[in-house]
Amino acid sequence: MMLHFQRLDELDTVAHQLLAEGRQHRVWLFEGDMGAGKTTLIKALCRALGVVSMVQSPTFSIVNEYTTHEGRPVYHFDCYRLRNEAEALDIGMEEYFDSGNYCLVEWPQRVAALWPATYYQIDIMADVDGRRTVKTQLVG
Amino acid sequence: MNILAIESSCDETSAAVLSNGQLLSNVIAAQLIHEQYGGVVPELASRAHQQHILPVVERALTEANIPKNALSAVAFTRGPGLLGSLLVGASFAKALALGLNIPLIEVNHMQAHVLAHFIEDPAPAFPFLCLTVSGGHTQIVLVRNPLDMEVIGQTQDDAVGEAFDKSAKLLNLPYPGGPLIDRYAKAGNPLAYRFPLGEMPGLDYSFSGIKTAILYFLRDRTSDNPAFISENIADICASIQYTLVQMLLIKLKRASRETGIKEIAIAGGVSANSGLRTALTQLGTELGWNVYIPRFEYCTDNAAMIAKAAQFKFEQGDFTSQAVSPLPRMAL
Repeated sequence: MMLHFQRLDELDTVAHQLLAEGRQHRVWLFEGDMGAGKTTLIKALCRALGVVSMVQSPTFSIVNEYTTHEGRPVYHFDCYRLRNEAEALDIGMEEYFDSGNYCLVEWPQRVAALWPATYYQIDIMADVDGRRTVKTQLVG
Repeated sequence: MNILAIESSCDETSAAVLSNGQLLSNVIAAQLIHEQYGGVVPELASRAHQQHILPVVERALTEANIPKNALSAVAFTRGPGLLGSLLVGASFAKALALGLNIPLIEVNHMQAHVLAHFIEDPAPAFPFLCLTVSGGHTQIVLVRNPLDMEVIGQTQDDAVGEAFDKSAKLLNLPYPGGPLIDRYAKAGNPLAYRFPLGEMPGLDYSFSGIKTAILYFLRDRTSDNPAFISENIADICASIQYTLVQMLLIKLKRASRETGIKEIAIAGGVSANSGLRTALTQLGTELGWNVYIPRFEYCTDNAAMIAKAAQFKFEQGDFTSQAVSPLPRMAL
């Protein structure tokens, strides 16, 4: 699927379209350059999932755990500061991925060996004129 | 009263001993390991905390010249932080307190950052406002007394330290590059380029917009001149730093106006930023604030601040049961 948007208020629609396509997968991998809007898109997704906690960047904390209004956890990862897969294993990333709860992962390339067999991939690109392009792929 | 405090919430393992309110030792693993082995300390792994915790605690006790059996309590960081890292400090503290049959004290890391101001004089008078700024946090805290604090404004996305580090990355500087921005900024014109200050309501912050603004700005300029960044690095850094510092101070000014409080403190690793220190000091003179900036070693993650926070809790008899477990997203 390929989506375009320009304004922040279009993000909620984008989030619902992503959920409609990716809902059978629990591990979502977000690729995109710094400043492309990965965290901002995930904030919108969390709103769509009914997350009641505040969604902040997990760059420093590596993983943030949120709760939906139904009491289900949602995990938000940022692998930017991880240097290798061993550090991800130390954090218990595999257990999170196997938990059956949504795992939204920024900078997933750093932990490529830990990706599950099936996942939903989302690429976000900042185009020249401030437009964003979102490309998605269901893998496995 | 002798308190041993342990901090392991993120990258640093640290232990400190406080005796009757006086800090006797404050050991941070990075320094210790470097001294002993000349090696590089792994940044994140909880395994590293496991390796460091025993030598760090032993060094803290030795430097303080306090034997284990003279301790009155053991304190540890319960959160917020990385779960694996917090577990190491919490388990160690619980085991030690149990073995010595002395009270256990849990400390909130963010509360401790604020209370770092009481390690040395001069300390702010209550009530005061504390701007806590680091790689993981950006918040304005209203401090009514040592154990009564309220977050009245905070970031809704990135922390300001993260904004510094990621801006540096966009400039192709090594990560974490916040301190490098500060260094280049000293030779630059802070008004050379304009970036948006953001428009968050109330006392909250947002730093994700400026990252994107910088991305577009650099993309435009380097398409005309591929050497734009290297030719203008000082002006770019000065302008980015100016913008981030202004964003911090605008909300701090508003918080002071709304609460009528003129005792203003800063805490956290980003309070080492020279642009922030200078601008805050100037603003303080202008607005008649008393400004408090702790020594740098008490701004970054350290166990001395955990020990100080634990002292206030000890005096209140506020102890923790052995059933306690870490809280990675612990609120203030």
